[in-house]
Amino acid sequence: MKQNEGFVLREVCGEYVIVGEGLNTIDFGKLLSFNETAAWLWEEAGRQGDFTVDSLTEALCREYDVTAEVAHADVADIIDRWQQSGIITI
Amino acid sequence: MLNTNVYQVAGHRFAVTAEDGLLQKMDQQYGPFLVKDDNTDGLVFWLEMVENEDFPSVEGVTKELMQDEDAGIKILTGSMGQQSYYEFWLRDRCEGRMLTDADRKKALLVDPNQTLFALNNAIMLMFAMATARLDTALFHSSVVEHQGRAYMFLGKSGTGKSTHSQLWIKYIPETQLVNDDNPVVRVNGDGTATVYGSPWSGKTPCYRNVSYPIGGIVKLRQAPENRIRRLRGVEAYVEMIPNISGERRDKTQADGIHATENALVMNVPIWFLDCLPDEEAARLCYETISKK
Repeated sequence: MKQNEGFVLREVCGEYVIVGEGLNTIDFGKLLSFNETAAWLWEEAGRQGDFTVDSLTEALCREYDVTAEVAHADVADIIDRWQQSGIITI
Repeated sequence: MLNTNVYQVAGHRFAVTAEDGLLQKMDQQYGPFLVKDDNTDGLVFWLEMVENEDFPSVEGVTKELMQDEDAGIKILTGSMGQQSYYEFWLRDRCEGRMLTDADRKKALLVDPNQTLFALNNAIMLMFAMATARLDTALFHSSVVEHQGRAYMFLGKSGTGKSTHSQLWIKYIPETQLVNDDNPVVRVNGDGTATVYGSPWSGKTPCYRNVSYPIGGIVKLRQAPENRIRRLRGVEAYVEMIPNISGERRDKTQADGIHATENALVMNVPIWFLDCLPDEEAARLCYETISKK
């Protein structure tokens, strides 16, 4: 999976939001807020470039004190939301 | 004869080199912003008008649509090596072409019809790009001033920004128009924000070289009834995004616009007004936001 070009994570007043900053994202007027974990995962996905549920789960377990099972469920859930919002391509 | 004029908008200086005739034509809009000393130090950009035959040949550029706002205005853009290339279209006609150097400090513009359409759009684009990193943002907004404070009305084209300004001017005493389309906002060192008039004001000739502290920013939406609520945090941020010019695909510019916008969200009251084009809308808005 890959992040779609032009979607940038911004911190606004201590909250995180995804903003469309590319040519193809002009009509992205949605408000897509992230919590801290989702924000960290978005940046990690960006670092990995080509990522999977497993690669993000692994990274999440290294960074946070969380069981693989819980991490896997959280990551799958978050990726599902990203896909529905059109900010990643499977 | 070619001549160069230096202008200052919102404290930022830029220069335009063009034929005398064209510079005179610019005078109604740009005259109030003309700097008398002609000092070209510290310019944020320099735009030079050239003839078609003096414009470099543009080859192998893939053009993409950057902006498609209202009234059939389109800006196409592409890269030519380190340089950036732009075309300004009005309806189905290309009215001007611009090529900038790598750091976008210098630009060449061809405006064969000399209608000021391409020139205005080119200068606005250069201004927005050059000042994005300088705590400055070019807004799409209609602005009024009341008792020393400015109130900015935002919204999609056709929402009634100008109409709402006119309602304030009609029904709220001591209110006047600052700019009707493209004011400039600067965030100051202490976090406060100032809005400036500019040479660009849409269809309304209101080219005032004035500035006021911002008392509030209001996003408008047409509705069957009048209602106002405060926006905070990311909601305020997201509502403002479409009303700020600039090329966000360029990371340093995007970072600059973000910093300016974030400072506004933290320091200026921002509101959402559902409204009718009537007196009650202006009074509700005024009574709510001028108390803050």
